[in-house]
Amino acid sequence: MKEYQVVGKSVRRLDALEKATGMGTFTTDLALPGMLYAKVLRSPHAHARIVKIDTGRAEQLPGVEAVACFKNTTRVKFNHSATMTFTVPPMEAVLDECIYDDVVRYVGDEVAAVAAVSERIAEEALALIDVEYELLPAVFDPVKAMEPDAPDIHIKKAGCFLCGKNIPGEKIHLALGNVEEGFKESDVIIEETFYLPVQKQAQLETQAALATVSNNGDITVWSTTQTPHPTRQILSHIFQIPQSKIRVLNPPYIGGGFGVRIGLSAKAEPIAVDLAMKTKKPVKIVYDRKEDFTSTDTRHSGIVTVKLGAKKDGTFQALQLKGLLNTGAYCSFGAETIGVLGAMGLSVYRAPHMLYTGNSVYTNITPAGAFRGFGNPQAMFAIETVVDMMAERLGMDAKELRLKNIIKPGDPWILPYSCQSTGLAECIEKGAKEIGWERRGTLNKPGDTLRRGIGMAVGTHVSDAWPFCGDFSNAYVTIQADGSVHVASGVPDMGTGTRTTLGQFAAEVIGVGMEHVSVTIADTQSTPFDIGSHASRTCYVAGQAVMKAATEARGYALAYAANMLNEPLEDLTILDAVVFCRGDRKLTLAEVARHAHLHNEQFIGVGKVIPQNAPPWLAHFAEVEVDTETGQVRLLKMVAAHDVGKAINPVIVEGQLQGGVVQGMGYALSEEVIFDREGRSQHDAYHKYMLLTAEDMPEIKAIIVEAEDPTGPCGAKGVGETGQVATAPAIASAIYDAVGVRMKQLPMTEERVFQALQELQKR
Amino acid sequence: MSKLKVAFQLNDKDVALSVDPNDTLLDVLRGQLNLTGTKKGCGKGECGACTVILDGEAVNACLIPIMKVMGRSVQTIEGIGDEKNLHPLQEAFIDKGAIQCGYCTPGMIMSSKALLDKTKSPTQSEIREAIAGNICRCTGYVKIEEAVQAAAEKMRDS
Repeated sequence: MKEYQVVGKSVRRLDALEKATGMGTFTTDLALPGMLYAKVLRSPHAHARIVKIDTGRAEQLPGVEAVACFKNTTRVKFNHSATMTFTVPPMEAVLDECIYDDVVRYVGDEVAAVAAVSERIAEEALALIDVEYELLPAVFDPVKAMEPDAPDIHIKKAGCFLCGKNIPGEKIHLALGNVEEGFKESDVIIEETFYLPVQKQAQLETQAALATVSNNGDITVWSTTQTPHPTRQILSHIFQIPQSKIRVLNPPYIGGGFGVRIGLSAKAEPIAVDLAMKTKKPVKIVYDRKEDFTSTDTRHSGIVTVKLGAKKDGTFQALQLKGLLNTGAYCSFGAETIGVLGAMGLSVYRAPHMLYTGNSVYTNITPAGAFRGFGNPQAMFAIETVVDMMAERLGMDAKELRLKNIIKPGDPWILPYSCQSTGLAECIEKGAKEIGWERRGTLNKPGDTLRRGIGMAVGTHVSDAWPFCGDFSNAYVTIQADGSVHVASGVPDMGTGTRTTLGQFAAEVIGVGMEHVSVTIADTQSTPFDIGSHASRTCYVAGQAVMKAATEARGYALAYAANMLNEPLEDLTILDAVVFCRGDRKLTLAEVARHAHLHNEQFIGVGKVIPQNAPPWLAHFAEVEVDTETGQVRLLKMVAAHDVGKAINPVIVEGQLQGGVVQGMGYALSEEVIFDREGRSQHDAYHKYMLLTAEDMPEIKAIIVEAEDPTGPCGAKGVGETGQVATAPAIASAIYDAVGVRMKQLPMTEERVFQALQELQKR
Repeated sequence: MSKLKVAFQLNDKDVALSVDPNDTLLDVLRGQLNLTGTKKGCGKGECGACTVILDGEAVNACLIPIMKVMGRSVQTIEGIGDEKNLHPLQEAFIDKGAIQCGYCTPGMIMSSKALLDKTKSPTQSEIREAIAGNICRCTGYVKIEEAVQAAAEKMRDS
């Protein structure tokens, strides 16, 4: 393995000091002179037409400077997801929302907004807006929404975005071989259906934006977006203003994301920009926590069916997967998530015959969009539970059955890129050792009411967004006049350590320590185009762009130094910011850069990347204790063994894995947003939505496996999302080992486990 | 609403302010004093991002009416250390990789400080109890707990 100086080292994060001392700036912290505050009036109804709206009384309230609603605001249709800026013809983007419409489609939909001199006055003004609604029939169940007599949530117009009753985008169909043949060849077939809940990102900083409009029409928006460049494109489309007139940036910190702001931060940016245009003053909007729960994207709930056929010896012959995702009132990422669900679900195991069919469907609930894992956790809860059942049916060890069937490099698979690396077998073996897999099935005595169990699940993910949407990146790396290195990349750092990791790549390539590196990110004006921080792509794609740019900048510096020293270029190298030549001839990089500066030259490298993709791999193990008298599941230990390729910064990688695992634990056991019969969220606050806290933590062991991928920067692969992918099925598998019930619905709350235990007793 | 005078100690300095009595301590810290290190995550005492230390106790600043602070002592993240003189907790959070997005960090550090000010050798469950009201959605708490242990050790040794 290659020796590195900076890559592979857990260097201190570039953002840590500012954040630890309270000096880091987030969008919610910003203030400008004369700034106004915006608040939004939201629909109390799940589906209604606005018959009358009167904003007169609100406008009269002292301190109110503007009230916006559908009557006085642009109604250009858009999609708040970044990927819909990248729909490649002949596909058409699903543009199904405007800032305010005359139809509201879920409880929490935007009706109007007020800009006032204080948040309190803006809030008061909301109560003075008179709205008369004509109620329309609503539908919340994704299956019912596809029935012919269900209400139409969107009307099919030019720009055909409906491909069936309430179905946005396209129906996905992925096939390998002939699945019917495969089932005929199978000795054992298992088919099961699984039910997945709405999960909420619940990131700590709510959606926020601050917009200013100068009198020559230049717009600046600081916001919580994970994708400044695509967000600028969306704003340019909404307001029909050239992109060159709009600047979008992070300030630079974002209080988490997990997918909730890939594209617009819900509607924070357009609401702020519109009100800033109306008032000619800076306008800031910060969603309150309730709005963040009710009116920003969630994880898709849905129904997944798996049919798996295997030979007696355990060889998988056929795998059929069906997905239905509830995308809520607006499409958002509904068209892509359903594709990723199938593509990831079919990319873990080798089987000659595979078929996936799936679609998303509109209903009158909060829109669902991107959330760490992006369809993959939904797929793998279902698939891994069925694989576990198959092992039992065949009388095989569940670990051995997996080892027998997992994808190997070179195997045919459903994806348009090839699998060039896998450390999954090593993940499985290392994880099994750490959890003590051999103890499985031996942990309880008859009559125990506190019963222990061990389970496992595996999976894969992506390292960027292609082929689910376009993906490319650019970076500038400059060796500045004092010899220090500056990196400019369009990706935000929402907490995942992007800035530090990108700095490490530049430092490594050029040959300097991190103390010589600064990194500018997430600004459409000072960084080149990049599609943003999502799809586990920042390290893998932006990292490649930075390495290319750094290589070019280093080349210019070395060529210049060769000239200065009058030595052949190939004899020069840079180490610790010093240019070395044969013998003891050397110049510091600062001396070279200074000399160049005085002779009118700077070393600027540009990196452009159209990436391949690469699969990270993961094996999760869980040990649980189930109380058969209450149904309560207590986690004792979680093991997450992940093949991340080269770990560029191991402490950052561990943090990603641990955090992902804990979100997966919540998905497995407690996190769920339920809507009542009128479509109102029952979980619209932190105290209602059951997040795990520090007191709920089991021992969590992250194991890093490094099967380097030839396409990755220094061999790195994506790691941002993998922790979430197979946590729930590992816990479900452990619950089965403990008490013998197969849970087919998430979260596995004590009520559901207790009910399942009752049913088991009845049988 | 007419303004009222309030005086208290903030980060070991006396402050006297004219405030809207409807404001919370958090409103005044962030809005009036520009001390934005104390974060706002929910405004309802549910997330802990706004934790400050009031007379030695960790409290949610969003739940404290500003007039209740009269004559008392408030400590915020800005008052416990800076880049030249980091508090052991700040140093440990940085060194252990306990910071990701950083939005919960100030509150998390203040809850931990209130614990360590009283308890030199906290047990795992004491640490967890101290930060149970602080939500972190990024780290899974593993490295935060390690950081608090490391800081406690360092504070004992010094």
